[in-house]
Amino acid sequence: MEWLIFAFLSAWAVLSVMGVLFLKNPVHALLSFISLILAVAGMFLHLGAELLAGLQLIIYAVAIVVFYVLVITTIPWEKVKRFEGFYRREFFVGFPVLVVSFLLFAYAIVKGDFARVGLPVKDNVKEVGKSLFTTYLLPLEVASVILLTAMIGAILLGRKEE
Amino acid sequence: MTIEKAYILISVFLFLSGLFGVIIRKNLITMLISTELMLNGVNLALVSVDRIVGGVEGQVFALFLLAVAASEVAVGLGLVVALFRLKGYEGSSEITHLRE
Repeated sequence: MEWLIFAFLSAWAVLSVMGVLFLKNPVHALLSFISLILAVAGMFLHLGAELLAGLQLIIYAVAIVVFYVLVITTIPWEKVKRFEGFYRREFFVGFPVLVVSFLLFAYAIVKGDFARVGLPVKDNVKEVGKSLFTTYLLPLEVASVILLTAMIGAILLGRKEE
Repeated sequence: MTIEKAYILISVFLFLSGLFGVIIRKNLITMLISTELMLNGVNLALVSVDRIVGGVEGQVFALFLLAVAASEVAVGLGLVVALFRLKGYEGSSEITHLRE
């Protein structure tokens, strides 16, 4: 049963990745990116990370994708038409390199062994929240500063020059 | 071969295809979508390694990665819009000012 769910989710993810890479229209690529996000959220649920699956849906599938759609609507369509698709030469040069590196990674992962230091946790959301607000309190605050900086930077970049 | 290792293989696939998309796509917006693919792959690897090792640290780091992804999208799309408005560029092959 576990492998059945895995096969379904991974086939879905691989199909959506092909859509993101090879569909001509940017809007279609964005739609297959949403499909990929849903597949990855399903994988998080299957791996027992419920909080992360929910946040993935909220942050990626709502906030980030809406942002992309807004930017695509601000750019005139005939300009986008000139630059759709992908470079042929880079495709044929890059593909073997990436296949070889994927095989190397796969060999290391399949043959290797992982350390097992802790026990699997029972109440996932509770444990994540606890360690987020005790051990990792400083990185959490730094993340909020990063978000603020990105917001100020985006406003400065998008401002009209006087 | 456990199911977590299979998920790590999928995450490596996601990361490498995101890299491939950054290399081959012509449009700046689709290049940014490919970087999101890479970030998703890293997130999946963190969560599945977390399941193997035990504990919740990987999920905490994946949360921070979500924050970084959101800010990266804000700044990156701001750059794309600024490039388009100031220069009229929309493809990655047009940005050659530093090279020439």
